[in-house]
Amino acid sequence: MALTRRARFAYMLVLPSLLLLTMLNLFPLAQGTIASLQRQNMTRPNPYEFVGLAHYAEALFSEGSFWSSLLKTCIWTIGSVSGAYVLGLALALLLNLDIRGRNLFRALFLVPWVIPDVVTALVWKWLYNDEYGVINFLLRQLHVINSPVHWLSDLNLAMPSVILAQIWKLYPLMTVVLLAALQNVPKELHEAASLDGARPWQRFFYVTLPLIRTTSVSITLLTGIWTFQSFDLVYLLTGGGPADATQILPTFIYQKAFFTLDLGYASALGLLMLLIILAISSLYLFVSRPSRVQA
Amino acid sequence: MSDSMQINRRDTLALVLSGFVAAALGGKVLAQDAKALSFWAVHTGTPELQAAMQTIINQFIKEKDGASVKFEAVNGALVYPKFLTAVQGQSMPDVADGYSYHPLQFAALDQMLPLDDIIAAWKSNGLLAQVVNEYAYKKFLWKDHYWAVPWNLDIRAIYYRKDLLEKAGVKPPTNWDEFQAAAIKLNDPANGTFGFVFPAGNFHIAQHYYMMFMLQAGGSILDKDGNLVFGTTSKDANVQALTYLTDFALKHKVTPEGIASYNTDEPHTLFIQGRAAFVTGTGGLISRLLKEAPDMVPNVGVLEVLQGPKAKLAAGFYNPLFVWKYSPNVELAKEFVTWLVQPGRLQPLYTAYPGNCWPILKSEFDSEVFKKTPLLAEVIQKVIPFTTDFAYPGTGIPQMGAIDGEKMFAAPVNEVIAGTKTPEQAVLDAHAKMAKLFT
Repeated sequence: MALTRRARFAYMLVLPSLLLLTMLNLFPLAQGTIASLQRQNMTRPNPYEFVGLAHYAEALFSEGSFWSSLLKTCIWTIGSVSGAYVLGLALALLLNLDIRGRNLFRALFLVPWVIPDVVTALVWKWLYNDEYGVINFLLRQLHVINSPVHWLSDLNLAMPSVILAQIWKLYPLMTVVLLAALQNVPKELHEAASLDGARPWQRFFYVTLPLIRTTSVSITLLTGIWTFQSFDLVYLLTGGGPADATQILPTFIYQKAFFTLDLGYASALGLLMLLIILAISSLYLFVSRPSRVQA
Repeated sequence: MSDSMQINRRDTLALVLSGFVAAALGGKVLAQDAKALSFWAVHTGTPELQAAMQTIINQFIKEKDGASVKFEAVNGALVYPKFLTAVQGQSMPDVADGYSYHPLQFAALDQMLPLDDIIAAWKSNGLLAQVVNEYAYKKFLWKDHYWAVPWNLDIRAIYYRKDLLEKAGVKPPTNWDEFQAAAIKLNDPANGTFGFVFPAGNFHIAQHYYMMFMLQAGGSILDKDGNLVFGTTSKDANVQALTYLTDFALKHKVTPEGIASYNTDEPHTLFIQGRAAFVTGTGGLISRLLKEAPDMVPNVGVLEVLQGPKAKLAAGFYNPLFVWKYSPNVELAKEFVTWLVQPGRLQPLYTAYPGNCWPILKSEFDSEVFKKTPLLAEVIQKVIPFTTDFAYPGTGIPQMGAIDGEKMFAAPVNEVIAGTKTPEQAVLDAHAKMAKLFT
């Protein structure tokens, strides 16, 4: 089955991009895999000594920080994505209504999405400050609190606080994507359900949700992967503290790679993280695959 | 139609290929330029300092006819990844300014050029005697070689409000007991003023102030032979220092309750807002005061380094200049380093943004900027003579880079303030982490 000249030419044009992608993805992955099997600790002699699976064994069986960081990463990811999904869906439902200024609201809701992550972190750090932050100031003015709430320094509040900042960052994308999905739901179905006596919540759960399910799966999976490996917001807001309460895997790996200069160990952690993301993604896709009846 | 398509295809392919070839050759040509230096600087983080450094570099270029220096200011937050990537990619700058123990870490990887000849020259021309503290250069001595030379000093100090102390009839404290009593007396929650504000977040800066109290208690991380003693022979002193520091928050309650999330800026901001009697601060606080609250400056003082139970010391950060071993221009790079650290040469940095950069040579303190700018003279008199390196009484070892970098003794401060560990447990756990680097 010979390729036509046109197809060959198309492949030739695609080749540079393919090479570039290979260089930027497969090559680092291969390098990381090799590094994970070597000592690669920049503070010690013989950095290229082969150590086999020692780094993986250390992470999984002797370094307790890996498991606690993984747990915190899961809490961080699930909290952020589910919060952003609920908020995004609520706003998408509102914007799907025929309300005045709808286009203006659509534009305004996108603002958090276009703000760079570092700026987002700095803004939230200021908002959360216990002594001169805006949130505590407003709560005091409204007589909701008498003494400052320690959003980022309280062991129990630090994680919810960084999750809230991440929700703020993620919800615009959720809103836009879900709004697009909602606009594809045929109005006739809602009308038919109404004629059959379905109440609004029944129309939502039995008509709307099933029809935006594929989009919901895609966007939550995508934002879930982004959040699982996101680093800058947590790093800048809390540095992983207080007392490691927000030490998620990306900040833990960053610390091991760039501060301890233990590249071998950090590479092993990175690959474990990749495997976890792959496993979660596969499981999620399997569980949320369209049923035979729907197909 | 078909012919013209074929020509277009060839053209397109030729363009793509020639682009790759040109990019590859271009990089090669640049790398081989015998008189071109690249210089990365970490401690020129503001536009004022970058402009001043560029002026200094332009002078070098003018004096060394035909030489060129490409100066790049490296963002503090990106220092570690940027250098690490450069080492891995073999694209290090010819000359660089980095954090304290970068040169030793890179020397351990066989990436650094020893600068013994520059230190020897300094010794013979008297410049070495001008360096503010012998640990400023001894810290770069590892395996019988100097892997960097100091060029800039980064200070940590305690600042206070003169007016508040005068009003309360309190003299500037000189030792631990007086300092504790003063902070308690000046704490005035009803008026929103805290006795003492310091950062205790999980950030590098938290350990810098702990170092200060640790050294004053007679504690240390290493002994004079470079052995780790943080949680062994120095444990008691290190626990004492940690207890003393964290007691301000937990026992005396004279700090904001949220300091477990504070980095460098929060204490500075509270002080500038007039909400702290005493505050730990970098030289950057002076810069901010001069710029943001000049009216407040006459009411601000720099506290003389406290006499602790065992010593009167504070941590100073002697920033290194180092040369990449595989630079195609090692001689010019060394020439640049030698040229840069000369009396008077770096004055534009000190005048551009006072407080941020500090000389490594004592003779520089005689200049107008240090005599006339408020607070600078106080730092020279009350802080700099008592600074030492944080590996004291040991000299440098590459592991110190990881200990500092991974915030291994910021964690104890953060954990104790957050209430998850006692000072003793926090010190022992930090020791166990550090010990892994030595096995």
